[in-house]
Amino acid sequence: MSNSLRNFSITAEAAKGRSGFRPTSEIRPPSLSGINIAANLAKLIQYKDLIGTLSVHRIKVRYKQSVLGVFWAVLQPLSIMLIFTFVFSLIARMPSDGAPYALFAYTALLPWNYFSAGVLNATNSLASHAQFVTKVYFPREILPITYVVAALFDFGVASTLLLGLMIYYRVSPTINVLYVLPILLVLTCFSLAMSFFFSATQVRFRDIGVAVPLLLQVWLFATPVIYPLSAVPARWRPIYVLNPMVGIIESFRQVVLRGSAPDSGSLLISAVISVILLVGCYIYFKLVEATMADFV
Amino acid sequence: MIDLRFDCVSKKYRIYRASEAEASPKKLRSLTRRLWGNANDFWALRDVSFEVERGEALGIIGQNGAGKSTILKLLYNITAPTKGRISINGRLAALIEVASGFHPDLTGRENVYLNGSLLGMKRREITKKLDSIVDFAGVSAFIDTPVKRYSSGMYLRLGFSIAAHLDPDILLLDEVLAVGDAQFQSKCIERINQLRNAGTTIVFVSHNLGAVESLCDRVFLLRQGEIFRSGSPRYAISEYEHMLTNTPASASLNLTSVEPSLAAQIISVAFFNSKGFRTTMFATGEEARIEVEYVVNEPLDDVVIEIYFYSIFGNLHSHFSTEANGDGLDLAPGRGLIEFLCPELPLEVASFNVEASIRRRGSSFTEHVDYKHAASVSIAKGKPVHGVFHTPHTWRTKKVEPSVYSTQSSDPKRSKLN
Repeated sequence: MSNSLRNFSITAEAAKGRSGFRPTSEIRPPSLSGINIAANLAKLIQYKDLIGTLSVHRIKVRYKQSVLGVFWAVLQPLSIMLIFTFVFSLIARMPSDGAPYALFAYTALLPWNYFSAGVLNATNSLASHAQFVTKVYFPREILPITYVVAALFDFGVASTLLLGLMIYYRVSPTINVLYVLPILLVLTCFSLAMSFFFSATQVRFRDIGVAVPLLLQVWLFATPVIYPLSAVPARWRPIYVLNPMVGIIESFRQVVLRGSAPDSGSLLISAVISVILLVGCYIYFKLVEATMADFV
Repeated sequence: MIDLRFDCVSKKYRIYRASEAEASPKKLRSLTRRLWGNANDFWALRDVSFEVERGEALGIIGQNGAGKSTILKLLYNITAPTKGRISINGRLAALIEVASGFHPDLTGRENVYLNGSLLGMKRREITKKLDSIVDFAGVSAFIDTPVKRYSSGMYLRLGFSIAAHLDPDILLLDEVLAVGDAQFQSKCIERINQLRNAGTTIVFVSHNLGAVESLCDRVFLLRQGEIFRSGSPRYAISEYEHMLTNTPASASLNLTSVEPSLAAQIISVAFFNSKGFRTTMFATGEEARIEVEYVVNEPLDDVVIEIYFYSIFGNLHSHFSTEANGDGLDLAPGRGLIEFLCPELPLEVASFNVEASIRRRGSSFTEHVDYKHAASVSIAKGKPVHGVFHTPHTWRTKKVEPSVYSTQSSDPKRSKLN
C-alpha cells in the first residue's frame, strides 16, 4: 500500500511547495450580462487536452469492432453519391453545370455530410452524456465541439475519394483550390453554431432530437447539393442565399471543380451569417449551460 | 485567507409531476407551464452564507434533502445558484467516482486518459501519473483490457483512483467511503489525510458521522436548505442526533400491517442510547438498548430472536441472540417485546445495516420464521478502536516484587537467549 502511495507523497510535497498562483473564480446566477466570451474561450483553451482526447475517442469508438473501420467515412458519401447519380443522372436529367454528375454530386456531398453528421451527432451530445454533465465540471461546449471535430476527420478521409474521382475524370485543380480552407472555416463556424443551439435546446426539449434529422433532410433539398445554383430561378435567389449552406456548398464546388475563385458575394453572406449565429448561439449555450445539470 | 465564500446563496429547483416530466401528449401543456413558470418551486438552499479558511476541513451533515449535495454541486459549478454569489480562491476538484463515464469498449488505459482529461488533467500529467493511478486501483494486470471485461469492483476502483490523483487547492468529498473494499477505503482515507496535511482546504458531505467527526474541524448541520447549527464536529453531530430523536419515524422500521400467514412476525425494532433517547447514532463503546417487538400468531416453541449487524458490503460483523444462554424461547400467541442490552457496543466507526430475525432453534441460518431489515445504524468515534472491533476490558496496576525481577534478569540461561 505504501508503495502505491509513493507518487502521492511527491505530489503532496509539490502541493506544499506550490507557488502562490491560485485562480480565483466567482459563480453568480446566469445572466446575459454575466457572460464573458473571452474568459470562456480562455477556459476552453485550458481544456484543449480534453477536446483532443474526446475527439479521438469519438473516432475510435465509432470504428471499434467494425470490419471496414474508417472506410465507412468514404463508403457513406460514396453510396449516397451513387444513389443520387443513378436517380438524377440516369433516370431524371439533372443539370450539373457541365461536370460529370457523380463528381458534381460527390463534391457537394463532402461538405454537406460534414455539416449534417456533425450537427446530428452534436445535437444529442449533452443529453447522452448526462453522467458527465451531472457529475463533473468542464466547459460543456466541448461535447458538441468534439462531434464536429470527428465529422471533420471523416471529411478528411472522404476527401481522398474526391481526389480519386478528380483524377478519374481528369479534372485538374488550380491554385484556387486553396480557397477550400476559408470555406471550411466558415462551414465549421456554422456547424458549431447549429450544434450549440440544438444540443443546448435538446437538454430541455427532447423533441429537438426527433426534429433535427427531419430538418436536415429538408435542408439538403434547400441547398444546391443535387442540383446547381444556376437551376434556382433568379427571383428566388436573394432569399435562397440567406441559407448559409448555399454559399458554402456552391463556393466549395466552384473552387474544386471549376478551379475559379468563389463567388465572393454569396460566400460573404454565408460567412457573416455564420459568425453572427456562432456568437449568438454560443451566448445562448452558455446561458443554458449554467443550469443544464438540473434538467438533463 | 478565505478560500470559499457563500454570499446569501439560494438555489431553487422546479418540481414537475411525473406525468409532466415524461414525454407524452401532456408535454405541450408542460411546455407552456415551463414557459409561464407555473410549476412548484423547491428551495434547496435559502440565503446560505459562510466562509471557509485555507486549510480548513468543513463537514456538512443533515438529512436527505437538507441541501448538502446542492452546496457541493454549486461549488463544483455543476449548476448555478438562483441568487447570491460564490467566490472560490484556488483550484478545486471533487474526489468522486467517475467510472460511470467509462466507455466499455475502450481499454483501462484509454479510459484513464479520457476521464483524467474530463477532470481537467493535462495529457502529460496523466502520462506521468498513469502507473500510480493503475497501481492505486489494483488493476495493473488488466490495464490494456477493455473495461467491459472488468469486475464491477475494478471498474469503481479505477474510476475513483483517477480522481484521487488530482492535486487541488480545494477538495470536495461526497460520501467517499462508499467505494471499494476495506483495504481500498483505507487507501482513500490515507490519500485524503495526505492532502489535508499538505494544506488542502476540504469540504466533506457525508452521512457517515464517524468519518465527519474524525476528518473535520468545523461542521454545519443543514435543515431545509439553511444552516441550522454550526460549530465543532461533536456539537453539530450531537445536535443532529437530537434532531433525529425528535423525528422517530425515521429511526427504525415500524410495521403497520400484520401478516397472519406468518407464525410470528417482527413488528418493530427500536434503538435507545444510555440517556433513553431513541436513536440510530451510537459511538463505539456506548451503551445500547434494542427493543424488538413481535406478534405471534400460532404458539411457537424453542425459537431464537436475533439481531444482525451487517456492513454496507454485506459482511456480518456482529449479532445479538436470545440463544446466548443456550435455551430457546417459547412464545405464546399475542404481542411481545424482547429487550437486548449491550453495555458497550464493540462495533467500529461505520454504518451498519441491522436485520432482525425470528427462527426455530437448530434451523439453518437461512430458514427464518420472519426476517426483516430493521434500520441503519451509524457508529461514530467513541472508545478508540485499533483493529476491527472494540473489546470491552478493564485494567489495574499491580505491584511487582523486586526479588522476582532480579532473579529473572540474573538468570544465566535467559541472558544467553537474549
